[in-house]
Amino acid sequence: MKALVCDDSILVRKKFKELLTKIGFGTLLEATDGEEAVRIYKAQQPDIVFMDIIMPKKTGLEALKEIRAANPNAKVVMASSVGTQSHLKEAVDFGVYDFLQKPIEDAQVLKIVSNLANGK
Amino acid sequence: MFTQFFGSYLLNNHLVTSEQLAQALELQKKVHVKLGVLAINAGYMTAEQVDKLHKMQMHTDKRMGDLAVEMGYMTPDQVNELLTSQKTGYLLLGQALVESGCMTNGQFAIALDSYKRSAKITEAEFADEKAASVRSVISDFYGFSLAGTKGDLYADYVSLLLKNIIRFIGDDFTLLPSSTVQLHACKQAAIQVIKGSEQIFTAIEASNDAFTAFASRYAQERFTENDEYVKASVGEFLNLHNGLFAVNTSNSLAVELDLEPQDYESDKILNGFKNLFIVPIGFPFGTVNFLLSGELPE
Repeated sequence: MKALVCDDSILVRKKFKELLTKIGFGTLLEATDGEEAVRIYKAQQPDIVFMDIIMPKKTGLEALKEIRAANPNAKVVMASSVGTQSHLKEAVDFGVYDFLQKPIEDAQVLKIVSNLANGK
Repeated sequence: MFTQFFGSYLLNNHLVTSEQLAQALELQKKVHVKLGVLAINAGYMTAEQVDKLHKMQMHTDKRMGDLAVEMGYMTPDQVNELLTSQKTGYLLLGQALVESGCMTNGQFAIALDSYKRSAKITEAEFADEKAASVRSVISDFYGFSLAGTKGDLYADYVSLLLKNIIRFIGDDFTLLPSSTVQLHACKQAAIQVIKGSEQIFTAIEASNDAFTAFASRYAQERFTENDEYVKASVGEFLNLHNGLFAVNTSNSLAVELDLEPQDYESDKILNGFKNLFIVPIGFPFGTVNFLLSGELPE
């Protein structure tokens, strides 16, 4: 399994990497902004993307839109503390796979990954 | 939050020094509230009676509760009630101050009594996080009512901030008096601008050591040097708090706010502000300043 973690915080990327490695992801890709995320997604086609919303260059929502345009089956999870109504609505409109409320809790990530593995 | 205001009351009235308070905040994690302090708080015993029982305990192998009943100071029911009661934070702080020799039981009793008389709201109201009175006390404490139309915004922001500090960093802090400045020299700062129908400048600023210790608390990792992870951790706390503030505001006031990515500065003078509120919070590891301005710098 291949995951892409996109967050401008080195700490959040580190926490995600530690957890996803423990869960058994073989390949972990990293992006620090939305632009890089789109580029890496198109080149590597990961099984799942964990995406922050507030990022430099391109926001997570813009990146989600472009990734889903490139692959309508892309599984993109938005991970943010800024779950305002307009963000949630926009993310749903763009075809978000799931949401994670920051600070990230291991159990939340495990549930999403097991749903993905079970084809839900 | 009763504890944090109690600590501030002790400082403002020069009953303890900031060093003594910092030590007591550290020590309170290890102390257990003794029956004597609980009895003083409940008004069942005077400080003199507690001191007398402490002296008696040195000469006899009896528990405080048994001695208090024997001396007729308390009934067995009162002792049981105290032993099973919830140990509140400000009593732990008081116990720590007594144990570290900063205060006697008598001084603590007087300080606690005066504090309770002067506090505008009760402990129970503080426990109710949604109580409007908590927000009002915070607003008065920091003088946000003088900030004109932005006052309500600041009070909402800081009320949530204090809750988030308790939730993600710890409750061993004291609220220190705020100030308003046009510029502020910062050693280390994580900065974030909230934009939308309001434009708010926010930052967390501290010395290198306090910044690193704050980061360690939030990330639950032990950082020893001020590196990228430290900056990211403080920035992430700021982002998390601002995010929750934006969500609350959009839900309750139908005001849409959005966040810009966090930025970091070191050894820099932040200037160009009309009014920059500095809200200092004293932790055992040092003071952390939370900066807030309802107008962006020019």
